[in-house]
Amino acid sequence: MTIKTEEFLLNLGPQHPSTHGVFRIILTLDGETVVKAVPVPGYLHRGIEKLAESRTYTQVIPYTDRLDYLAGMLMNWGYVYAVEKLMNVEVPERAEYIRVIVGELARIASHLVATGAYAADIGGLTGFIYTFRDREDIMDLLEMISGARLTPSYMRIGGVAADIPDGFIEKCRRFIDYLPDAIEEYNGLITGNEIFQARTKNVAVLSAEKAIDMSLSGPVLRASGVNYDLRKARPYSVYDRFEFEVPLGTKGDCFDRYYVRLLEMEQSAKIIRQALDQLPEGPIKGKVPKVIKPPKGEAYAEIESSKGIMGTYVVSDGSTNPYRVHFRRPSFVNLGYLDEMLKGWKIADVIAILGSIDIVLGEVDA
Amino acid sequence: MAKGLIKGLGITLKHFFKPKVTVQYPEQRLPLPDRFYGKPEFYYDKCIACNMCVNACPNRVIKLETETVDKKKVVTKYDFDQQYCLFCGLCEEACPKDAIKFSKDFELTRYNRPDIKIEFVQPDQVERKKEEIKKAAAAKAAAEAAKAKEQEEQKPADAGEEGS
Ligand code: SF4
Ligand code: SF4
Repeated sequence: MTIKTEEFLLNLGPQHPSTHGVFRIILTLDGETVVKAVPVPGYLHRGIEKLAESRTYTQVIPYTDRLDYLAGMLMNWGYVYAVEKLMNVEVPERAEYIRVIVGELARIASHLVATGAYAADIGGLTGFIYTFRDREDIMDLLEMISGARLTPSYMRIGGVAADIPDGFIEKCRRFIDYLPDAIEEYNGLITGNEIFQARTKNVAVLSAEKAIDMSLSGPVLRASGVNYDLRKARPYSVYDRFEFEVPLGTKGDCFDRYYVRLLEMEQSAKIIRQALDQLPEGPIKGKVPKVIKPPKGEAYAEIESSKGIMGTYVVSDGSTNPYRVHFRRPSFVNLGYLDEMLKGWKIADVIAILGSIDIVLGEVDA
Repeated sequence: MAKGLIKGLGITLKHFFKPKVTVQYPEQRLPLPDRFYGKPEFYYDKCIACNMCVNACPNRVIKLETETVDKKKVVTKYDFDQQYCLFCGLCEEACPKDAIKFSKDFELTRYNRPDIKIEFVQPDQVERKKEEIKKAAAAKAAAEAAKAKEQEEQKPADAGEEGS
């Protein structure tokens, strides 16, 4: 007698903690093995790009917070950078340094969430609690400087909203000094764990060629050994003044993607320390007219966000509102390869693979 | 074999004896920074009804209505529909008189939807302001009249001095 088997469909999400938000994958399974995976984004779509068209240039800033809400500062930066390019505004040095400091803090915060959530995905909730404990320090710092934890709306076209408050620098230094201890703890708790390694090493290996072909970016790309970080490859702001390395993976498996983020946190801390040391005095906002009316034209600017290359395309028709704004969201682009990454892996690995890409749904769906 | 695992357990065990990092909200509270955006506050007497905050807001949260009394604008309504607020602070930044500010009160949950909206201006405030303006106008008019009269009286004397 032969047992009749057939493939079946399984919805992963949209309501599922491992999808890190409202994200759905329609899995075609053969037993426990994935045959096909169709990602279905869009559950968190708010139409931010369309909303931007009916707002003034400054009013778009609070909406960019809600793209990658784990690193709102970086999203602010991506947008204002594009508008500054469009208007040819010069940003004062002090503002650039403040941007680097808060931007790198946001990057560490985002990577801490990625690291902790990944540990939780694999089954170790303890790791999650530990990274969130330390992320809290960064949230406090961001709250101190911008007034909000997740949605800072701190950057302005031509500079930043406010100068560094009293006590911020000392607190920031204390955190930077403490971070290596915390990372050592994560290494002991998560990285060194045999079960964690068994679940992630050699899982969903992504070759460098394929990563480039699919225009992946950020830690996902660098884990495959491609040395491409915009902060080094095409330095923007004042990144050419800092000494730091671009951590690379060797294999491109889930473990590398996880570990690259840990190493990146160390480098970010290094950048913040240098920025604090070099922090110049001066104005925090460039010469920008009160009513922002860029000349007709268009601009595209890219920054390296925590998830990858975040690009902003702004078109101006000469009025006070942007004619069109488009965001190149790294999480969304990085998801493009999901189907092939999942194929052939067991359903338990799906969670591990999706977690290693580190998506944030605010950014995927915009 | 399970060396990493045991090391991890050691780390958690060490924290078992360390002081707790959590805070027992709501009995205990962490201090909030000065720039925190909590519940908005509106200072009626400072407001000059310039509409800057209304225009700065990305979500049209603020509704401002004015009445003109003796060529002066009186704010009769300043409604803040908090449910649409992004707490971005652009209104505060735009205000030239610091009339809209954000407090540190973050417990904004309400049981009923209509309670979310804040109506800042009370009718008696408007009445008082109107009275004040009227009084001020009357006082000004009286002062001007007195001044005019004074000048009138001084004129002959001035003329005399000029002549010398
Ligand atoms: S904080 Fe922002 S969204 Fe809220 S009322 Fe002010 S400008 Fe509008
Ligand atoms: S910007 Fe300030 S002064 Fe002007 S209307 Fe608003 S609250 Fe009043």
